[in-house]
Amino acid sequence: MGFKSNIEKFLGILALVAMLVGSYVGLVVVPADAAQGNVQRLMYVHVPAAWLAFLAFFVVFVMSVLYLIQRDERWDRVAASSAEIGVVFTVVTLLLGMMWGKPTWGVYWTWDPRLTTTAILLAIYVGYGALRSFAEDGEKRARWSAIVGVIGFANVPIVYMSVTWWRTLHQPPSSPRSVAPDILWTLMLNLAAFTLVYVYLMVRRIRFAKLEGELEKRMAYNA
Amino acid sequence: MRVEAGTTLCLVGPNGAGKTTLLKLVATLLRPSGGDVHVMGHSLLNDPDEIRKRTGLLTVRGFLYDDLSAAENLHFTMRMGGLKPRREVIARVLERIGLAEVADNRMRTFSTGMRKRLALGQLLVRPIEVALLDEPYSGLDSQGMRLVDEVVADFKAAGTTVLLASHQDGEAVREAEQTGILRKGHLEILPESEPLSRHLSVGGPAGAPEVD
Amino acid sequence: MSLLHRAWAIVWKDLLIEARTKQSFNAMVFFAALVLFIFSFALGPDTELLQEVAGGLLWVGIAFTGLLSLSRTYQNEETSGGLEGLRAYPGDPRAIYLGKLLGNIVLLLLVESVLIPAAGILFQANLWPHALGLAAVSILGTIGFSVVGTFYSALTVNLRAREVMLPLLLFPALVPVLLGAVNATTLILEGDLMGEAVVWLRVLGAFDIIFFVICIWIFPIALEE
Repeated sequence: MGFKSNIEKFLGILALVAMLVGSYVGLVVVPADAAQGNVQRLMYVHVPAAWLAFLAFFVVFVMSVLYLIQRDERWDRVAASSAEIGVVFTVVTLLLGMMWGKPTWGVYWTWDPRLTTTAILLAIYVGYGALRSFAEDGEKRARWSAIVGVIGFANVPIVYMSVTWWRTLHQPPSSPRSVAPDILWTLMLNLAAFTLVYVYLMVRRIRFAKLEGELEKRMAYNA
Repeated sequence: MRVEAGTTLCLVGPNGAGKTTLLKLVATLLRPSGGDVHVMGHSLLNDPDEIRKRTGLLTVRGFLYDDLSAAENLHFTMRMGGLKPRREVIARVLERIGLAEVADNRMRTFSTGMRKRLALGQLLVRPIEVALLDEPYSGLDSQGMRLVDEVVADFKAAGTTVLLASHQDGEAVREAEQTGILRKGHLEILPESEPLSRHLSVGGPAGAPEVD
Repeated sequence: MSLLHRAWAIVWKDLLIEARTKQSFNAMVFFAALVLFIFSFALGPDTELLQEVAGGLLWVGIAFTGLLSLSRTYQNEETSGGLEGLRAYPGDPRAIYLGKLLGNIVLLLLVESVLIPAAGILFQANLWPHALGLAAVSILGTIGFSVVGTFYSALTVNLRAREVMLPLLLFPALVPVLLGAVNATTLILEGDLMGEAVVWLRVLGAFDIIFFVICIWIFPIALEE
């Protein structure tokens, strides 16, 4: 018991430190972008947040598949925790994207394939969460959300491809810029920091989920 | 709990005791939260489809479509049971349950008693080995109740196992080889000497039986 | 094969009931017409604008109308004891999915056969030269819509707030279908000089196949009690 909570604390501190370092490097150390100015620094949080939004959902997918095969409620707990945390990252991604877009291109929203797919991902997450809140029975809730998790995730690459086609048929694709090494490093650093935050949040959330599960069982037994 | 093939078990008990749940469990519509159910040698957890092939369920409301006729409902039942629907079989069953004259009328026009008879008919168009009857007498007049008794007697003669749950007294209930009381999910098989009339009502609501 | 026979039994039952009551069909046609009218009013009498967006408007109409019929897919089972009745029969439960799916596709296509000409009239678009292309989009898009729609409506049938949950779950899954259908329709109506519509039709076809396989495979788990 003490060992586990020590690991949690260690992770939390590590994540915090990593975030601070990453933010410092991103905001102060690395030079601002020639074309876009300081706003471009938002990339250092926007991109990792996006990465994690999708990673979290990938975890939901894997856990959902595992649950459907093994029917072990532990997988369901991990899936649900990842979904909750994933929503947060998705919203952050979208907000940062809007903050970046307005000064850069003059609009809050573009129908860029990645942004659009992220918005759809949010809709899938919300559906997943709503489904869980409307299902009372623990087993049914786990099973149905696992199904939605699997199909929802299978849909993400298809959505991305469809939107990409849609955009390229109407607009030439944006030319990829070569990335300077220190920008790349900063990005990687922030990516690692965000991933640590995710892991820390997951560890805590899963622990709470386990307690919630036990509480539910006791309440059902006494009913 | 064990029911010998070809015999009849009658379940009695107050509302909410779980009689319908038990019947639905045997019909494979519900999964047991613990343990297993074996029907004719097949396990519910491993082989539910084999069980479904051999069981027929009669529920209080019945699985009938209002906008189809009596004959069409039976036609559908046969198809879904994996059988080729034959007009003679359907006609014969309709005759047996007393609905031959209204065979082509839409179910929407049927009275409660007629619906119940048709639901009973659904069990007769398929060759089943286990008949599960939930409150078979409800909604029927005395003629209908006699029909139920006759059908159960036919089942017995054919070696079909019957599980029936009933509030009301009737010949089929009294002729059952075994009787069990279900109370709050606990089943107790009554010894043969126990007078059944203490646990049943004739027309009124069943009281809570007090047998220790 | 027994699976097909039982699926066919369900299609026969549903279409027979529909033919007798005309409940769904009438409601759907009326609703679709309403949607088309409102769009026409909203966009104004500029026929050029209407013709440009005709593809999109048409599919919005079809999507909403389809949603209406999906809610009813399992509802007519409600009065006859719910899906329980169908589940008590022996055989692969996938027959239920297949039967309901085919029934939904047929019904939606029937409504579209009225809706598309009506759209042509309201938006003053001449549809006849594009009839073949429109038929292809119509069929592929309807299949895609129905494949996911039938699946999710089975999933949500026992859920509280099902009327909210169905569109919520369905919407992200329909994005590829709607993108494909709308783009293909618009291109076809414009004459499709570059042959791009075929790309979209292929996208639709691929989506239909992929999701049909996933949904029919997973269906028994969705149906479990």
